Amino acid sequence: MTSELAVSASGLVKMFGERRVVDGVDIAVPKGLIYGVLGPNGAGKTTTLRMLLGIIEPDEGQRMLLGRTAPREASDQVGYLPEERGLYPGMKAREAIAFMGALRGLPWKTGRKRAAELMEAAGLGHAVDLKIRKLSKGMAQLVQLLGSVVHSPELLVLDEPFSGLDPVNQERLEKLIVAQRDRGATILFSTHVMAHAERLCDRLSIIAGGKVRFEGTVAQARGMLPLRAHYTPHRPGEGLRELLPADAERENGSWRFTVPPEGIETLLVRLIDAGFGISGLSIERPGLHDAFVRIVGAEALEGAQA
Amino acid sequence: MNNTRRLIRQTLTVARRDFIATVITPTFLIFLLAPIIMISLSMVGGFGARSAVGAGQDKQRLVVIAPAAQTASLVSVDTQLRSLFRPGDDGRPPALRIDVPQADPAAQARALFTAEDVDVAAVLYGPLERPQILYTPRQFFGGNYLAQLAEQTLRAERAGGGITTPLSQPVKTAIARGQSSFTGRGQVAFFGVFGLFFLTLMLAGQSVGTMAEEKSNKVIEILAAAVPLESVFLGKLVGMFGVAVLFVAFWATLLLNLLRVVPADFARAFSDMSPAIGSPAYPILFFAYFAMSYMLQGAVFLSVGSQAATQREIQMLALPITIFQVAMFGFASAGAASPGTWVALAAEIFPFSSPLAMIGHAANSPSLWPHLVALVWQLLWVAITITVGARMFRRGVLKSGSPKFSLRTLFAR
Repeated sequence: MTSELAVSASGLVKMFGERRVVDGVDIAVPKGLIYGVLGPNGAGKTTTLRMLLGIIEPDEGQRMLLGRTAPREASDQVGYLPEERGLYPGMKAREAIAFMGALRGLPWKTGRKRAAELMEAAGLGHAVDLKIRKLSKGMAQLVQLLGSVVHSPELLVLDEPFSGLDPVNQERLEKLIVAQRDRGATILFSTHVMAHAERLCDRLSIIAGGKVRFEGTVAQARGMLPLRAHYTPHRPGEGLRELLPADAERENGSWRFTVPPEGIETLLVRLIDAGFGISGLSIERPGLHDAFVRIVGAEALEGAQA
Repeated sequence: MNNTRRLIRQTLTVARRDFIATVITPTFLIFLLAPIIMISLSMVGGFGARSAVGAGQDKQRLVVIAPAAQTASLVSVDTQLRSLFRPGDDGRPPALRIDVPQADPAAQARALFTAEDVDVAAVLYGPLERPQILYTPRQFFGGNYLAQLAEQTLRAERAGGGITTPLSQPVKTAIARGQSSFTGRGQVAFFGVFGLFFLTLMLAGQSVGTMAEEKSNKVIEILAAAVPLESVFLGKLVGMFGVAVLFVAFWATLLLNLLRVVPADFARAFSDMSPAIGSPAYPILFFAYFAMSYMLQGAVFLSVGSQAATQREIQMLALPITIFQVAMFGFASAGAASPGTWVALAAEIFPFSSPLAMIGHAANSPSLWPHLVALVWQLLWVAITITVGARMFRRGVLKSGSPKFSLRTLFAR
């Protein structure tokens, strides 16, 4: 655990009754990055984040938040958007943001001023003095996110930030997260939607069944799977299937298969020599989604969802 | 199935769920037994109130300063006059005491009003034909009784059948008491305890549902992440106390202004009510104990209410809360009725009855230091209650902590 890490934890364990919800999680989030915690529903992501923030205490293991072993001591430098969104319905949007800032040590007056600026920048200038109950769900969610960044935290923890947002607001949120990273903040967020993680994360952990199954960059995760080829012969005919790798699957007039470890060039030469020719060929890099499914595995998925 | 049958069936389905959800809870047992508990506690409270007033009445005296030669006839006439009253009658005059005159009977009479062992209601001195009667403003009746005693004693001495003109011409003078009376202190104690109980009953119970808002709109997660739960609990309690103070300030201002237009006779009825600790200290202590009582009981209700999962459970808690408050009132008023006894001491030490009992103590005793000790003690218990409540909340609602519950883990960080 070094000071270059915004968040670190080792061997975190949490039991709910007899169930081991988090089972020895290790995590290391470097400063200034967007770090994703990915996992299926019930994987233990939220519990892990809550333990890291000190909302609940781990049964075993150590954690460090912004260089402090007691997470609450770093509270003023942390912003948090919980999975279950919560705002006082009778509060005005500006007040709600200022209130969340005040909880983290920001003076009310400054909080109100920054709240108006942040809302204006997020395209919510018209809603500054509207009560929360008058806002749409997406707007309220953005207000809550602004409340978690109003005090310019060093670390921003977002639990499933995209859930319940329409595509327009999802894009707004993505921009906001990137803007926070660009100003030097560290962002730790959980999601089970791979597309966001793929676009945003500098590094990520994949958790399933309470354990970390993978830690690294998006590219490293995707690199765990071989490339896939999509081949359309010029002159299909008998004997083609025998030349293709064993996992080749027919899809209309085309074939999909894993690129052999030695490369695709040898295979292509054989196909041309056999007279099948090449009408179309594309090499596909597997997405994070595929990597996630591969890493988590069907068994873990079933276990987590049970 | 026709529409009516379907409607009945649907209604019964909802009713069945609600009935079972209500009955199968521990709080329902308290709700079920509430009337018995309420009656018992009301009896304790009523007994305490009566004792508070009765204890003072036993200490009241009418005093006649007269030569020893007149004692027998005065006692005889007093016995005859008292036969007009039923035993235990609230209007019965206080017991009679006859003192032998000293060098200056007027000074002797005045000095009696500062006696510490008894409450002197009225004093008669001088010749019975023209007696001087001193009485406290509340004891106008006691003064009249002594005047009648003088008149009838003279008639008895002169055996004057057929005398129609008064033989005695008393001069009555109202006199302010040099210090608070037993009765007055008892009444101040009771009204102080009752006032504090009444305010706490009305205001502290509201804290039971304050965490429900944060739980229902999920703000609790944000609060729990940003500040210690102890701060959340204390903050909510202080916020609600602010509301309570505003309420009290409004009504206190209104009542104080109303007192200006109260008729003099009505005001005279309360003229004896003076706390032993003195007037400037008593209202200050009353406010301090109100704060402590509110904080202590509010912290308990807040902690209990924060564990409630639904609005129904919070509603069900209203009755046990009232019972708890009445119990504390009964305990404290029993202590206030018998100052210096083990009941009073126990009520003063038990944290949740302590503020109520100590305001009774302030009415009965002039010492200031017990209040300083009591306030520190109560403050300590406010901290303990909030800490325990916050940890129970963290453990039970935020799901923190190990699966096996124990007192050791509850108090461990």
